[in-house]
Amino acid sequence: MIYLDNAATTRPNEEALARAQRYASENFFNPSASYGGGFAVSAEMGRARESILSRIADPAKFELVFTSGGTESDNQAIFSAARRGNAVTTSAEHAAVERAFNELKNRGVEPRFAPVDRHGAVDADALLSLVDEKTSLVSVIHVNNETGAINDIAAIAKRVKAKNPRCVFMSDGVQSFGKIPVRLTQDIDLFSLSAHKIGALKGTGGLVKRKGLTLVPLVHGGGQEGNLRSGTENVLGILDFCYATERKFATLFEDAQRLKGYREALWEKLDHSLYTRISPPDGSPYILTVSAEGTRGEVLSRMLWEEGVVVGTGSACSSKHRFSRVLTACGYGENILDGVLRVSFSPETTMREIEESALHMNAAAQRFKEKL
Amino acid sequence: MEKVVIIRYAEIHLKGKNRGFFEHVFADNLEKSLRGIRHELHRTSGRWLVEKFEEGRAEEIAERVSNVFGVHSYSIGYLIGSSMEEIFEGAKLVAPTSGTFKVETHRAYKKYPLSSMEISAEIGGRLLETFPALKVDVHTPQNTVYIDVRENGTALVFCGSEEGVGGMPVGTSGKGLLLISGGIDSPVAGYMMAKRGMTVELLHFHSYPYTNEGAKEKVVTLAKILSKYTLVTRLTTVKVTKLQEEIHAKCAPELNVTLLRRFMFRIAESFARAHGYQCLVTGESLGQVASQTIEGMTSSNAVVTLPVLRPLVGFDKEEIIARSRKIGTYETSILPFEDCCTVFLPEHPAIRPALSFIEEEEKKLDVDALVEEALSTAEKVTF
Repeated sequence: MIYLDNAATTRPNEEALARAQRYASENFFNPSASYGGGFAVSAEMGRARESILSRIADPAKFELVFTSGGTESDNQAIFSAARRGNAVTTSAEHAAVERAFNELKNRGVEPRFAPVDRHGAVDADALLSLVDEKTSLVSVIHVNNETGAINDIAAIAKRVKAKNPRCVFMSDGVQSFGKIPVRLTQDIDLFSLSAHKIGALKGTGGLVKRKGLTLVPLVHGGGQEGNLRSGTENVLGILDFCYATERKFATLFEDAQRLKGYREALWEKLDHSLYTRISPPDGSPYILTVSAEGTRGEVLSRMLWEEGVVVGTGSACSSKHRFSRVLTACGYGENILDGVLRVSFSPETTMREIEESALHMNAAAQRFKEKL
Repeated sequence: MEKVVIIRYAEIHLKGKNRGFFEHVFADNLEKSLRGIRHELHRTSGRWLVEKFEEGRAEEIAERVSNVFGVHSYSIGYLIGSSMEEIFEGAKLVAPTSGTFKVETHRAYKKYPLSSMEISAEIGGRLLETFPALKVDVHTPQNTVYIDVRENGTALVFCGSEEGVGGMPVGTSGKGLLLISGGIDSPVAGYMMAKRGMTVELLHFHSYPYTNEGAKEKVVTLAKILSKYTLVTRLTTVKVTKLQEEIHAKCAPELNVTLLRRFMFRIAESFARAHGYQCLVTGESLGQVASQTIEGMTSSNAVVTLPVLRPLVGFDKEEIIARSRKIGTYETSILPFEDCCTVFLPEHPAIRPALSFIEEEEKKLDVDALVEEALSTAEKVTF
């Protein structure tokens, strides 16, 4: 099997998982317990917290709250920070942000969506023009999960804060953490992470928070995670997240460089009479989104699955929600929207896999067009 | 004192000389529904008793038998010795503690020292003493405590009963093949035929890779829910991808759906004949969608000779939905997995296609070969 849907999820790193599993089964105590065993687990989690956080931010200025994943982190950030006035985001956010922003309407906060370009990157000037003195939250996705487009969040955050220093700036970093270089600046208040996109288990994520920013918890209970996220900690998931992060960051720059080459190689090998490119050249090296015009991406992805090539899709074969909301916002027509495939890589991806996948992708689109 | 479940049956008593056969099938179905629970099932003067199970499972047993067609009503009660002392102990357990009530006694053991009336009066009196908030009302009581004195020195006590699903035991009215799509209607159609005693097995068409596994999984889920009533745990899937591609490539687009349905009927009939089904069952309802006009149904019927039963033909969508909710299939049916890819949906399907036009278009296809090809993809799913 050639697995090229790593933006959806990744294969768990076996060594990281084995190490986390060993620790969690031997040290099964409740981290909140007041005896030695509990303290030891709590301390180990603290080390994990520091290790993950320090890769992207200064632990003196930021803290990390563990959550159940990117979606929870986004929701926690949004419903806590956007409590009055309006909240501004882009038209190309992940559903976790977009749906939450639409829910804000029911809570008396006006959501505002800034336009994006053909690749899904936000028009920063347009976004800025939506920010006013009543804006309580601005949210800009770091790496777009459907196209790989990168938003310069440090620069945008700086401009946002210059215009309204009191509003909170957050960014969904699920597709950037562990994949491209990230360093959080003081203008960025909140940043969401997910473990399973970088080789750890599903069910764990994190919310990086600037120290001094007060949040209101979504989940109430025993007061874990600094009272922000109650519930007994997912020790296995958190340690696995940490160990997978360590491995991922050890070769982050080399991986990004190499995969950028693979991404371009794949594009070169695709039949350009069949495929249109959606991903920008300066986007995430991990994602190449293309469209085989006039086909159905979902059908192509199943044809490819049967041949052992696993890629993602940007459209569904159903009449409801047929087109990707994000790609529609990028301004593509139905013909392009129907045929979208998202190919996403991991450090394990090889050049041979790229070559083979290109052949299969070309053949599948060709076959589809012949039959229908 | 032993907890038991008492089951009364619906129409079987009407069946004259065939009664033995109906009772036998009914008992078999009860056994099937109780698979996995240790118990004994006994027949006793016009009812069935489930006995000798772990006491904590009475509710689970009641729930399962409540879905068996032929069950008119059921009660959870106690099997006890027939002395007045024991009867009273049992009555105390099932009786209400407040409101109005009466006691009704049935005495199969005619040599019992007290008459039915005397037993009722005595037990009723003792219950009134025990529960001061109780009041007797022999005409319209809120609760009735039943006592059944049996010939073998035992008695049954229970209070009230719950309604079962009624109908006829599955397996007493032939075998039908239900064309199940994943929508709201077909599971309801299958339920209705099973309720009249038909053994209903399921055939599902898919067009992978144009449709996805989600659509198939959904049908399996529906089949599982349906099997609580039909007691059948088999589903056959047939892939019609090739067929759809051929129709799409060669025939008038407005006939896509009509032609596909004719093929589905042919495939179903061929499958039915090979496996001993006596009819096809569909969830069609007149006028509901473009292909469910009388012309559409006529064009499908024209290619088969087996009877096609459409139990929902005269039902409104709302009525079907209400039934589907009751059966428990609705929530699954409305999950957003398409059973047909939009690639194949014509913009304007023919609503009243003329048979001559259909047959003309169909000549462009190798009908027999396509039916053969589809049948060769048949896959049994057991669950």
